[in-house]
Amino acid sequence: MDLSLNEKRLLKVLEKIKKGDPATLAAQMDTTAESVIQFALLLEGRGLARVEKKVDTTYHLTEEGARYAREGLPERQMLNSFKDRIPISDLTTHPLSRVGMGQMRKKGWVAIRDGMVEKTGRDAPGEDEIALADLSRGGEGIALLLKRGLICENQVTVYLITVTPEGEALAAKGLDLVEEVGTLTREQITGGAWKDLRLRRYSLETLPRKIYPGKVHPYQRLLDEMRQILLEMGFAEIYGGLVQSSFWNFDALFQPQDHPAREMQDTFFLKEHVPVPRGYEKVRDMHLHGGTTSSTGWGGHWSREKAEQCVLRTHTTSLSIQHLVAHPEPPVKVFCIGRVYRRESIDSTHLAEFEQLEGIVMDRDVTFRHLLGFLKEFYGRMGFLDVRFRPGYFPYTEPSVEPEVYVDGLGWVEMGGAGIFREEVRAPWGVSHPVLAWGLGVSRVAMLRLGLKDLRQLYRTDIDLVRETPSWRQTSEIRGGQ
Amino acid sequence: MAVITLHYRYLERLVGCDRATILERLPMIGSDIERIDEDHVDVEFFPSRPDLFSVEGVARAMRGFLGLETGLPEYRVTPSGISFSVDPGLASIRPYLGTAVIRGITLDEESILSLMGLQEALHWALGRGRSKVAIGIHDLDRVTPPFRYIAEERTRAFVPLDYDREMTMEEILDEHPKGRAYAAIVRDFPRFPLIVDACNQVLSFPPIINGELTRVTADSRNLLLDTTGTDERAVMTAVNIICTALADAGGRIESVLVSGSHVPTLAPSTRVVSARECSALLGVEFTPTELSLLLQRMRFAAEPAGDDGIRVTVPCYRADIMHDWDIFEDAAIAYGYENFGAELPPTFTIGQAHPVMAIASTVRSLGTGLGYQEVIPFTLTSERVMYQKMQRPYAQETLGVLHPISEENTIVRTAILPLLIEMLQFNRHRELPQRLFAVGDVVEGLETFQKSAFVSLHPAADFSEAYAVADALCRELSIPYTAEESGDPAFIQGRRGRLVANGCTVGTFGEIHPAVLNAFELEHPVAAVEIDLRAVPGYPSGQGTP
Repeated sequence: MDLSLNEKRLLKVLEKIKKGDPATLAAQMDTTAESVIQFALLLEGRGLARVEKKVDTTYHLTEEGARYAREGLPERQMLNSFKDRIPISDLTTHPLSRVGMGQMRKKGWVAIRDGMVEKTGRDAPGEDEIALADLSRGGEGIALLLKRGLICENQVTVYLITVTPEGEALAAKGLDLVEEVGTLTREQITGGAWKDLRLRRYSLETLPRKIYPGKVHPYQRLLDEMRQILLEMGFAEIYGGLVQSSFWNFDALFQPQDHPAREMQDTFFLKEHVPVPRGYEKVRDMHLHGGTTSSTGWGGHWSREKAEQCVLRTHTTSLSIQHLVAHPEPPVKVFCIGRVYRRESIDSTHLAEFEQLEGIVMDRDVTFRHLLGFLKEFYGRMGFLDVRFRPGYFPYTEPSVEPEVYVDGLGWVEMGGAGIFREEVRAPWGVSHPVLAWGLGVSRVAMLRLGLKDLRQLYRTDIDLVRETPSWRQTSEIRGGQ
Repeated sequence: MAVITLHYRYLERLVGCDRATILERLPMIGSDIERIDEDHVDVEFFPSRPDLFSVEGVARAMRGFLGLETGLPEYRVTPSGISFSVDPGLASIRPYLGTAVIRGITLDEESILSLMGLQEALHWALGRGRSKVAIGIHDLDRVTPPFRYIAEERTRAFVPLDYDREMTMEEILDEHPKGRAYAAIVRDFPRFPLIVDACNQVLSFPPIINGELTRVTADSRNLLLDTTGTDERAVMTAVNIICTALADAGGRIESVLVSGSHVPTLAPSTRVVSARECSALLGVEFTPTELSLLLQRMRFAAEPAGDDGIRVTVPCYRADIMHDWDIFEDAAIAYGYENFGAELPPTFTIGQAHPVMAIASTVRSLGTGLGYQEVIPFTLTSERVMYQKMQRPYAQETLGVLHPISEENTIVRTAILPLLIEMLQFNRHRELPQRLFAVGDVVEGLETFQKSAFVSLHPAADFSEAYAVADALCRELSIPYTAEESGDPAFIQGRRGRLVANGCTVGTFGEIHPAVLNAFELEHPVAAVEIDLRAVPGYPSGQGTP
């Protein structure tokens, strides 16, 4: 049994005197009573001592109580102030009548008849008077006096510490009282003094102080995980501006100029304009009549000025198309994770800005089946093992597909959109091979993964979310994430 | 998105099979079931398929998809002998008119609901809130042909739908609920579009409201359709979709003579597509015969033409078929998305991180190494947070959005530091010390680039801490810097510095000014650093500008 030095010292004293209160023991150990109690509780935990705790209640007189103890209770003083009977009007002049009158009647010492107060003769001293004379006698009187505020209660916890037979036996074997050291110093380490030191033991019962490591935001960890998966799948990363011309954000993606997404209420438009790029005429022709493809185009008008107005990008597809324009030769496999903007009122499920992940693959002979293959692979690596595909619609892809993943407790959850770029999108730039594309609003995955009910928490973060979310969680957990 | 209500009884009658079979297969033709009720289901269809915005249209498509009736649905049109003139004065107002006569129809409650739902969904999807196309349907027997579509005085009066008194068109725009809702489309024109009959009675004030005179009821047997708009193709698509739905509901379609031609024709169009091109796109080998069978289930007429070709006849209501690939998608849907074996392509490429993102990742590992916790603040903010509360002057290169949604989101951030200080404000009740950092995009002018900011809030935070962090970041990011006195009013005078590299200010650091702390309701000192990551060697230039 490993006793601390203080426990040993207490046991040593107890061996001599068998039992004692903390103050007595403290005096012998040259420490405080409080410390003795702590040491004794440790010894009790080891079965070497017994700590008895008793609450002693004592009473003492209040100022008013002390006066009555000397002079008698008001009702007794009043009773003694007259003989057998007295007119009530005379008695009310007595200085103690406010208290005494009621008590005399309540105790049945007097009766009032025809304006006269008469003694009944039943006026032996009550429990309260007996207690008042000697508080240590206790009894019912104490409660009565407490109620009248004539005495106060005082509770004192008294400890009695007794050595157990086991404690005595241990002490009898002799206790080693060498001093313990809390901190190891440089001199002790280098000078060899450590060999003779006794280092104080720490208790595992005392919980450690909680420290928080510097951490990446859990949402960023999810973004990094996705990024890592795409890098491993051979995708190169692209990056670009938050500000895009309508031309790259909409027109180049064959979104007609009167498309609802291009209206003021859905997109953050800016007052700035930038010129359309060289070769824009082919995009214009594609809108007007389908250019040289089998497409009819949208017909109607096409405004260059409308294409030149800047927006906060509504998707990162504006970056994908620009990358394709700069790299029209196969193969191209790129991805992007970036902030996109929608003009939405902010609430728990809608934000005006959020992250989108997007990937494209352009190569000879890639097909719709390959698109589904990429989606299945990516979601599988994210831990979503059950993936299914339904027809979808996006203005710039054909065919289009809506992937869904199965999440325990939620069922099939829509996970972004995908498709093959329309010929109208790639033809103006001489991109002659199919382009597989898919995008994903990452915040939805984050909600599943982090168990959040409010999207805003990702961006307006309670730092306890960062502090308390573990850095590592087994990936398969997200299948039953909710 | 268009959510269409389909009543089971009517749907089952038109499709000719039970609701369970229909509901099971409906999503695989391209729809989301929003809500299943006792007597109806609400289904969301894609805006590219306005022909599915009615029970009749869904039933037609599902009959093919389920194999109950395949191939092209035939629609007969006979001349009505009625003519409809268009006033040349409408050319600059609302030039296009589409019309048709529908005879011998009996509308019950469910087909009236379907028709109203169709009209509403078309107004939204094709009509762009009635500006591009607006649709009116009238009881033909209440008026006298021929009809005239004219540009009329704004003070012309008639009794609008749901009213019992005459109002001028100007009054309608001000007082009638529909007038107020759609006034913006016509308000600025000197004259308003109006449809009148041979006796000069008003049928409609498009795109605002019909007249009470021609209200359609369950007793109406013969109908006149008017669609007006600014885009001829969209106007005719709306006519085709409504006429084919009403024909499926039991009506006979008759054409009207407009500017010398009979409308509508409801005539299909023809494309010859390549089976090889389709197979190459979808990744499954199809013969022309196989493809023809698939397309017939999507209600096209299709037959092999030559060894590779398929002659496809597209029904008039399929306005979304713009390109051969639109037909291939329908073949894929008929084949069943669930039947394509997913397969990874053989494309070999090497993954590569973008340098901007690689730098950001390095900053993140430095931030966590320094004991800071990452946060990801919004990029949209207000001048109040970005400048006023920071005591900083408004920067001319700040990008404002034209129609902000709230006062908190009027500009794009030019710095991250103010948002971190705001984040400390959100977390006032949390344990100290709080050390936060963020890395992300900012915009100056039109250029997007990355910055990173660090804040440390605790009773002993001071200039020395900020300087030490700034120095550590610069050393680790290989930014050769000198520190110079700064005049940044967000910091305490004499306790602030700026990082200068290659003659440019690339960062700022110091102890945040108590007035700023007061503005953000913070009660302890804050040491702060912000660095422009363009100063990091290898940060690519010019990638963030449109």
